[in-house]
Amino acid sequence: MFDAQKFIEETVADLGNKIKGNAVIGISGGVDSTTAAILVNRAVGERLLCVLVDTGYMRKNEVEYNEGMLRRLCLNVLVVDARERFHAGLKGEVEPEKKRKVIGELFIRVFEEVAHKENARFFVQGTIAPEWIESGVGFRDRIKSHHNVGGLPEKIEFEIVEPLRDLYKDEVRIVGQKLGLPSEVCERQPFPGPGLSVRILGEADPESTRVVREACAIVEEEIEKAVKKGEMSKPWQYFAVLLPCKTVGVHGDVRAYGHIIAVRAVESLDGMSAAYSKIPQTVLERISVRITNTLKDEVSRVVFDITNKPPGTIEYE
Amino acid sequence: MSNPVKVYVVDNGGQWTHRIWRVLRELDCESKIISNTTPIDQIDADGLILSGGAPRVVWESPKLGNCTDYFDHFRGPILGECVGMQLMAIHFGGKAGPSEIPEYGSATMKVIDEDDLFRGLPREFFVWESHNDEVKEAPGFVTLAMSENCKIQAMKHTKKPFYGVQFHPEVNNTQHGEEILNNFAKVVQFRKEAKA
Repeated sequence: MFDAQKFIEETVADLGNKIKGNAVIGISGGVDSTTAAILVNRAVGERLLCVLVDTGYMRKNEVEYNEGMLRRLCLNVLVVDARERFHAGLKGEVEPEKKRKVIGELFIRVFEEVAHKENARFFVQGTIAPEWIESGVGFRDRIKSHHNVGGLPEKIEFEIVEPLRDLYKDEVRIVGQKLGLPSEVCERQPFPGPGLSVRILGEADPESTRVVREACAIVEEEIEKAVKKGEMSKPWQYFAVLLPCKTVGVHGDVRAYGHIIAVRAVESLDGMSAAYSKIPQTVLERISVRITNTLKDEVSRVVFDITNKPPGTIEYE
Repeated sequence: MSNPVKVYVVDNGGQWTHRIWRVLRELDCESKIISNTTPIDQIDADGLILSGGAPRVVWESPKLGNCTDYFDHFRGPILGECVGMQLMAIHFGGKAGPSEIPEYGSATMKVIDEDDLFRGLPREFFVWESHNDEVKEAPGFVTLAMSENCKIQAMKHTKKPFYGVQFHPEVNNTQHGEEILNNFAKVVQFRKEAKA
């Protein structure tokens, strides 16, 4: 059986031996990077700086919320506003793998700049097993380049440390709990590093980002409300995706022509396989009505994704 | 288990190779992932599980390294999964190739003969699949399970302790998956004790 206590003791000892001087961690506020940060913090204390990048592709109110949460955990936090850089980097880019590579490189450049200023030779990431497995190496096929593995540029200025590399999400949650992280962190649904940019099929411009951000917020709120009311159990992951095609609708006797939002919700343990969530029709209907009314000028139709993994992946790109 | 059995995972490049290692660890087996090019004389395991992988069995079998060598010389039980099973069937004179209807995700599996692998399990349950190829003929093997679109979902050699599964017991969405791997680990344990 996986022994979280033993894992923590061994990992903190290893990190203490390995990391000399200052270290920087790329942190999102999700369970993986926050757990990694606490482990490194236990090993090297104040010598760790947590860098939270605002890519412009974070969810609604997420950057402010995460910054506050990380400060409450007594971590050193630096928020870098890189919204314009990310938007500029992704301008005109529609190919999913290229988008992921651009993002992977931009992340590293931001971290390098901070590491340089801080005189840090070590860069920590909360990489977990599915990310290096799916990024492919040797003869393992590349399913998608995760930003922190397959999206890394070839030349990097610092040494990468990945204390959670052999764990899966469910094991990280157990480690997080053992470390005393609040349930708001441990039970948080996964959110990909490239953020909303991979939930916009096609070019992730600021306007599409605004639409998918609002749709994701509605999906999250409606599902969380339904869970609270006991109408359904909480899915492993649940979100909205903006599809790059338009359909006809009718609004108050007037023709409408807007985009399609796909609602995705899945049940999984570790993200390596998943079944689509059997969400009650009434909850799906509330989501659909709210999205098409709130985003009436942009979205004319909502569909629910009934694909398992495999053959689909959880996210769309 | 005071004296855990050593079951190693031979990596054929699958998405779920590391998952097999994880489940074995949860079953208290001693396990590690080894490259499929590891020479047989460097393998000190009591049992082997050959992972699945992207290589297509008909035209990419060189990518499967020394797996066929293990069939000839490894002295312990072997469980071949997916492409590992397909290679096993071909090696012993059978046939494997592209599926007429490949399966991805959920499939209903029917147990024909529970044998060692499916001991104590229901006759029908959901398993998780991800394959483009499948075993067509497997002389010298007994078919243990089937699904609607794949007639040989599991098999066992009539003389050797070699097993094959087309589906993926290591995947969390597969029902009874951990029990199937535990049943294989028990075979390994039994053989090890018999040898000692």
